[in-house]
Amino acid sequence: MNKIVYLDNAATTPVDPAVLEAMRPYFSEQFANPMTYAHSSLGDTAHTAVEEARTRVASLINARSEQVVFTSGGTESDNWVLKGVLERASRERLHKPGHLVTAEFEHHAILHSALALERQGYEVTFVKVGRNGIVDPDDVRRAMRPTTVLVSIMHANNEIGTIQPIAQIARVAHERGALMHADAVQTTAHIPVDVEAMGVDFLSISAHKFNGPKGVGAAFVRSHDSLYPFIDGGGQEWGLRGSTHNVPGIVGMGKAAQLGKERLTSEMKRLTALRNALFEKLASRIDRLTMNGDAQQRLPQNLNIRIDGIDNEALLLAMNEAGIIAAGGSACTAQETVPSHVLTSIGCDVKEAKASIRLSLGLATTSDDIDYAADVIPGLVRFLRSMT
Amino acid sequence: MDKYSRATIREFMSPSNIGSIENASGVGHIADNADAVELTVFITVNDGRITDMKYRIAGCTALIATLSVLSREVLGKTVEDALAIDMAQVSGLLDGLPESKWRCAGYALQALQMAVADYRGRAQ
Repeated sequence: MNKIVYLDNAATTPVDPAVLEAMRPYFSEQFANPMTYAHSSLGDTAHTAVEEARTRVASLINARSEQVVFTSGGTESDNWVLKGVLERASRERLHKPGHLVTAEFEHHAILHSALALERQGYEVTFVKVGRNGIVDPDDVRRAMRPTTVLVSIMHANNEIGTIQPIAQIARVAHERGALMHADAVQTTAHIPVDVEAMGVDFLSISAHKFNGPKGVGAAFVRSHDSLYPFIDGGGQEWGLRGSTHNVPGIVGMGKAAQLGKERLTSEMKRLTALRNALFEKLASRIDRLTMNGDAQQRLPQNLNIRIDGIDNEALLLAMNEAGIIAAGGSACTAQETVPSHVLTSIGCDVKEAKASIRLSLGLATTSDDIDYAADVIPGLVRFLRSMT
Repeated sequence: MDKYSRATIREFMSPSNIGSIENASGVGHIADNADAVELTVFITVNDGRITDMKYRIAGCTALIATLSVLSREVLGKTVEDALAIDMAQVSGLLDGLPESKWRCAGYALQALQMAVADYRGRAQ
């Protein structure tokens, strides 16, 4: 097989072999339904495994175990929190449609949930984002209304990696009697995520973004009575989320959370150095190259660059031919030829947005990978620019 | 994204006839900011037939590959026959170009049409 340098870890990450090993028994051997634990020793084994995973995820984000509710992933958690909170607060407290404050550059799991809420008669304000890719808490303050029941701002942006001042924004929300949600899909197990320090009431997490399996995630829910269920069913997850537990997935997520916590500090340091080296090498070898989003308030693993005079789709395909896998916008919008809404929200025009690529590093990224990418990409840029 | 054929990728990675023609018989230029596309097509016409086509392009893969196959396909054709080339034909030359890319790739045909119109304008 030809050399592959995978620099699309923000889209998804490979399952850590230790995670896969931890999951393996829970498919065919320890297959029981954890809800049968009271009368079944098999069920009790599965239940114990689920609860151990819950403790590990809670430990990663400094929550209590009962505040961690397993879901099918980040998108479900986002949908659930937005819809469940708006519906419950509007019906039981306001007795009229409530108001949501979010930001223009959120992931589509948030934006499309917000638009769905608008269709149902709820009100939404999409706060603008600064050129540096950071939401100003004062802009959130100005968007607040007496009917605002929830503020939802992502912890770090999935395309440009900019880290948001969640604690300050949470204070704004709480001062006005609203609850605070952060989509932490890109940050969990990559930078410190502490629900107490952040002051959030809800958090969305996805396992496959930190070397866990796909199809499993969690919502941190500070108080169970703050939202309605999204998936109605049996009594799983305190009646907050029906459906038989995805035991192997949950076990895998727990293992990934444990490993992520153990290597958090060393990986942050390692990836920051690799990312900076990649940027410096590319910037020295390619003229008219700019970093999108703030350089400091940024995820260690994220590099998003604009290379004037190239089309990102063409560059990504040429990179793929050379074995380097990266992204234009997010993976969730990779099928569209429209420019990234994140980049246009921070003031890039269409041409600038379509000249931008995201390089996202991960656990498996080595300095050899970085050298290879820094050696190959400049030549591909010259190739594309030679046609203009 | 509908996948590109290997033929399209090959064409894009080693495109034919990039460049410009001094004293071209006709030139067509398109700059579209909404699509972040800019291209110029140059043609040489002798005795009513296209004998050379070159182009400069800043644009997507589909457009580059289309220009590349088009620059070979038009050679020796009368301008009328060259104008009759449509996206279905281009798609065939590329072993199938996803229809979602036809609009953008269509700029190649538009620029060729403009170059022919330029040639005809000069000839009058």
